[in-house]
Amino acid sequence: MTHPFLSIRNLRKAFGAIVAVHDVTLDIPRGEFLTFLGPSGSGKSTTLYAIAGFQDPTSGDVLLEGKSLLAVPSHKRNIGMVFQRYTLFPHLTVAENVAFPLRVRRRPDADVKKKVADMLALVRLESFAGRLPGALSGGQQQRVALARALAYDPPILLMDEPLSALDKKLREEIQGEIRRIHRQTGVTILYVTHDQEEALHLSDRIALFKDGRIEQTGTGEDLYLRPATDFVAGFIGNSNFLAAEHLGTTNGTTTIRMTDGSVISGVRANGTFGKGQKTRLMIRPEAFSMERSPASAELNVEIVDIAFYGERRRIVARIAAGQEVDIRPTSAMQSQDVWPCSRQVFFDPAAAFLFPA
Amino acid sequence: MDETVRAVSSRSRVAVMSVETRRNFGTVRVPAGLNGLLPALILIMLFFVIPVLALLLRSVTEPEPGLQNYAALLGDGTYARVFFNTFLVAALVTVATVLVAFPVAWMLAIMPSGLASIIFGIIILSMWTNLLTRTYAWMVLLQRTGVINRTLMTIGVIDHPLPLINNLTGVTIGMVYIMLPFMILPLVGTLRAIDPMTLRAASLCGASPFQAFRRILVPLSLPGVAAGGLMVFVMSLGYFVTPALLGGTSNMMLAEMIAQMVQSLLNWGLGSAAAFILLVVTMVLYALQLRLVGARRTSGGI
Repeated sequence: MTHPFLSIRNLRKAFGAIVAVHDVTLDIPRGEFLTFLGPSGSGKSTTLYAIAGFQDPTSGDVLLEGKSLLAVPSHKRNIGMVFQRYTLFPHLTVAENVAFPLRVRRRPDADVKKKVADMLALVRLESFAGRLPGALSGGQQQRVALARALAYDPPILLMDEPLSALDKKLREEIQGEIRRIHRQTGVTILYVTHDQEEALHLSDRIALFKDGRIEQTGTGEDLYLRPATDFVAGFIGNSNFLAAEHLGTTNGTTTIRMTDGSVISGVRANGTFGKGQKTRLMIRPEAFSMERSPASAELNVEIVDIAFYGERRRIVARIAAGQEVDIRPTSAMQSQDVWPCSRQVFFDPAAAFLFPA
Repeated sequence: MDETVRAVSSRSRVAVMSVETRRNFGTVRVPAGLNGLLPALILIMLFFVIPVLALLLRSVTEPEPGLQNYAALLGDGTYARVFFNTFLVAALVTVATVLVAFPVAWMLAIMPSGLASIIFGIIILSMWTNLLTRTYAWMVLLQRTGVINRTLMTIGVIDHPLPLINNLTGVTIGMVYIMLPFMILPLVGTLRAIDPMTLRAASLCGASPFQAFRRILVPLSLPGVAAGGLMVFVMSLGYFVTPALLGGTSNMMLAEMIAQMVQSLLNWGLGSAAAFILLVVTMVLYALQLRLVGARRTSGGI
């Protein structure tokens, strides 16, 4: 039997009475880019620190190629890491920083020189070799940190919100760099972020954390198009949650009644519901359409505002119950449309998800 | 590429700003400040500059004009021994203080702040306790029939009492104790400024705890060690009470010698010359440290 490359088994970490990680189990194949996504305090960083060896888990295990890492002190785990804060050694030049992990491993001088040159080329900072970290911008510092973390060819690279201190434009630029470096080196990356766009942009797979547990693991598309829970649906992308009553499910077809009395059939049910149970229907803003198609269901709304966002219009509408609905149709409204007005908008029931209230 | 340009332009903007601030200082603040500073300057002249000049004057005029006091001090073997001994003790005390203070300062730096302030309080309290009391306490501990010797003999570690007092050992122990706060305080400041994440990063890079200590923590704490070390060294050079009480006759220090010259021999000229030499040495050391730390700051950005 082959072992998964990296395996987290029933990891639990409690700080006194506070449980940061309840029960996390996850297998990561070699070469994957996996992101731990979640709000702050959801246990994603604690899980990462357990892998790095900074925090001993209360129970559970972390296995690399079948062997437990827990008894190995962090300086012998051979894991690379880029931190949220700038952690370059301020008294060493860029080249010396990248050379540091090789020096402590007592590699021969010639090897160190070559590797440092390779690494600085990888992050495109060759001309900065002699500078001290204080003379670099934040983005450059994190690129040097990346070079330092990869210099000793670690099997795993951990990244703990490495871009959170950078501005948006720089962040996108370095995201591109990280993707390129992942392709180029094939290193397995575990990446922690609370930014869903960053997670979707970078990762092969995303593990979405909530309250110390993994809510759902899957590709960005899985999480976006097939959310397992209302938390996932709410966290990834934009979503509208509309109150509805479950009328019944027969032969896999779920029927609900909206607050205005209209009945919709064929929505996707997450879980099983009792007859008459209060539920919430999740519809993505871009799942709405302004034109009727054969399979579509309709929703009576009052258009309150239309804003032009370049590639798409954003419509603020209100249903009879008073709740606002965010609508971003792929088919634009005609420019002669005026508002406020009452009209019907349409959506495919198969793209609407039913969750417990 | 784009990023470099941005970094450079932002740096030049900072430079422009600092020039502007400096200009403001130059035109408005300094003259106004000079007027306000006048009383303070007079005070400094009266109580610091004039006495030092008087000291210098005495050393070259008493008992008769000339440099014979300096010639005597620097030429005579006995005085040379006292100078050597003074520097030896100061150096020993500085090194020992660094070795003891570093772990304490590190502990204080990483401790929860509530607990750290209690320990700080204890250290400060010891500074406020009367110096003589503390030195006498060490006499009680260190003497032939003192607590330390008796305990060691009772548990059978030694047969004869160790010579812990009236020698170099006694002076060093006593002075390290007195000097510790002066080393711990600047060192804690420096160590607190070091991000503990830097050490975690070093650990993940493969550095053993010792390697992380030697290659990261020690270099980063050097400014604090230098500041505290200079303070301790300079204070030790001129220290009187502890060497007088815990030291022996064979290893007299400069302050004791000055006291003897002035009190017993009434030779103010020789005493002034010795004091002035001490002052010059201190100032040279201070200038040296400013130079080293200053150079670090401009090139290193620590």
